[in-house]
Amino acid sequence: MAFNIRPVRPVFVGEVTGIDICQPLSRDQVAAIEAGMDQYAVLTFPDQPLTDDQQVVFSANFGELEIPLAAQMAKPEARRFDKLELGDISNFDGKSENLRARDDSRRMYALANRLWHSDASFRAIGAGYTLLHSRIVPSNGGNTGFADMRAAYDALDDATKVEVENLVTEHSIVFSREQIGFEVKSDDASNVRPVKHPLVVMHPVTGRKSLYLSSHIGGIVGWPVPEARAFIRDLTEHATQPQFVYSHKWRVNELVMWDNRMVMHRATRFNDLKEQRDLRRTSIKGVGLAVADAPAMAAE
Amino acid sequence: MTVSFQPLHPVFVAEVSGIDLTRVPDPGTVAAIETAIAHYAVLVFRDQRLDDDTQRTFSRCFGPLEAATGGHVTALQDRRLPLDMQDASNLDRDHTVLDRYDRKRMFNLGNRLWHSDSSYRPTPALYSLLSGRIVVEQGGHTEFADMRAAYDALDNTTKVEIADLVCEHSLLFSRGLLGFTELSDNEKFLFAPVRQPLVRRHPATGRQSLFLSAHAGSIVGWPVPEARAFLRDLTEHATQKHFTYSHKWRQHDLVMWDNRTTIHRVTRFNETLVRDMRRTTVAGP
Repeated sequence: MAFNIRPVRPVFVGEVTGIDICQPLSRDQVAAIEAGMDQYAVLTFPDQPLTDDQQVVFSANFGELEIPLAAQMAKPEARRFDKLELGDISNFDGKSENLRARDDSRRMYALANRLWHSDASFRAIGAGYTLLHSRIVPSNGGNTGFADMRAAYDALDDATKVEVENLVTEHSIVFSREQIGFEVKSDDASNVRPVKHPLVVMHPVTGRKSLYLSSHIGGIVGWPVPEARAFIRDLTEHATQPQFVYSHKWRVNELVMWDNRMVMHRATRFNDLKEQRDLRRTSIKGVGLAVADAPAMAAE
Repeated sequence: MTVSFQPLHPVFVAEVSGIDLTRVPDPGTVAAIETAIAHYAVLVFRDQRLDDDTQRTFSRCFGPLEAATGGHVTALQDRRLPLDMQDASNLDRDHTVLDRYDRKRMFNLGNRLWHSDSSYRPTPALYSLLSGRIVVEQGGHTEFADMRAAYDALDNTTKVEIADLVCEHSLLFSRGLLGFTELSDNEKFLFAPVRQPLVRRHPATGRQSLFLSAHAGSIVGWPVPEARAFLRDLTEHATQKHFTYSHKWRQHDLVMWDNRTTIHRVTRFNETLVRDMRRTTVAGP
């Protein structure tokens, strides 16, 4: 079967068939996937029974892998996987595979994934692609919602486009967790120090602008904090209206990859105290996140 | 002239005509308004040239008024309006627009979040009556969401799950969401959380509704982050477009709503312009 991308929405989310991503890819196959990502921002690959090693190999086609912050901050004995690049998106209690207790701090930390965000936007350079592979999925809920930040940007009125054009936001893991009443404690202050990003970014290949929003945003440079947060909430509400959103219902052995520079995502609720959900994440360090007229900003 | 009600939305909200609110209404008219608001939840009265006295007099037809004590961060000597008139303006006591960094303004920005008035009080608000004395041309709308329709639209599993849940409400939570956390010990004392059921039943219609509010920061017996994530989900469900009405203000509008069946919020506007809104609040239950 030939490589094919079926559009799920006109120019947002494509389903990829006719490729075995468990095997090493040719340069052309990688280029075809990258071209699909530029166009659709989210690609789904059904029926791909990847092992951890195969997921890492596949992911490395697209750049340098990131070490998740949760893995960085966790004690080695609390980690489920030896491979640091592999993010544990499950409700398991570490290596035991018992379900996490209701008040488990890892569960509290992960609950913030129910807020719309862009992965690792709290880093000086946010994530490029995230790749999530499903091993066990619950019977109900636990979907991943995606919102198209290009379409959301396009739909802003002209006055708002002018207003947001040069705004710079401050992101930290502390801000997203704070919103749900969870205090992030880190021995290393560099993990939680806010970083700055432009609110409007331009895709390096397509030149399309998008809103770089995330629940990790806690301020806008030069604005009073409450005014900034109220405005970011308004923009997020605009950007996550049903017409910009696709909700992915997981099947086992699917890989979904998305470009954090063009979409926000979030997890939806499921019965995580009773049912298992095991997804494994790899993510690629972002490159080429371009601002229209300014250089990318690093943390101070 | 008889009072009449014209629906403005498929599930709630009506415009009221045939009444002059500067005159004290007779008991029959008061009863007709009470019956209508039980059904419509939000009533819009146009072209009512109210001052503080006439607004107070009309409001008192529906019960005793709430005093603004404890619901704000404005010292008594800095108040622009008497204690029974809640100041929903962007003005200082000398009628100038608040500075961008003014503490009162920072606090008032919490009204941009969906809430039910005074849900942080042991006795929450029954009716709110908001009078548009000076309105802005763009933005500054008041949006309402119908918590009965939102409740009805929940799936049965969720209805069962929430039936007996109790939430804790406080101004600390709603203001904390926007990063307004610098409060005096006295303010923290005044803002101590109170408990409210998540589902309530309207005494007149018997309809059940969701008692949501930005002031709700936890659910009794739940871990806080789980409660907050769930309350966000419920609020998102409850404020979908088909449950909401956006009121674009004209000068001399009075809008009256039932806080037991609706939540509301103000939308963004150019705060260098004067917007003078005054609210009277009929205390519950």
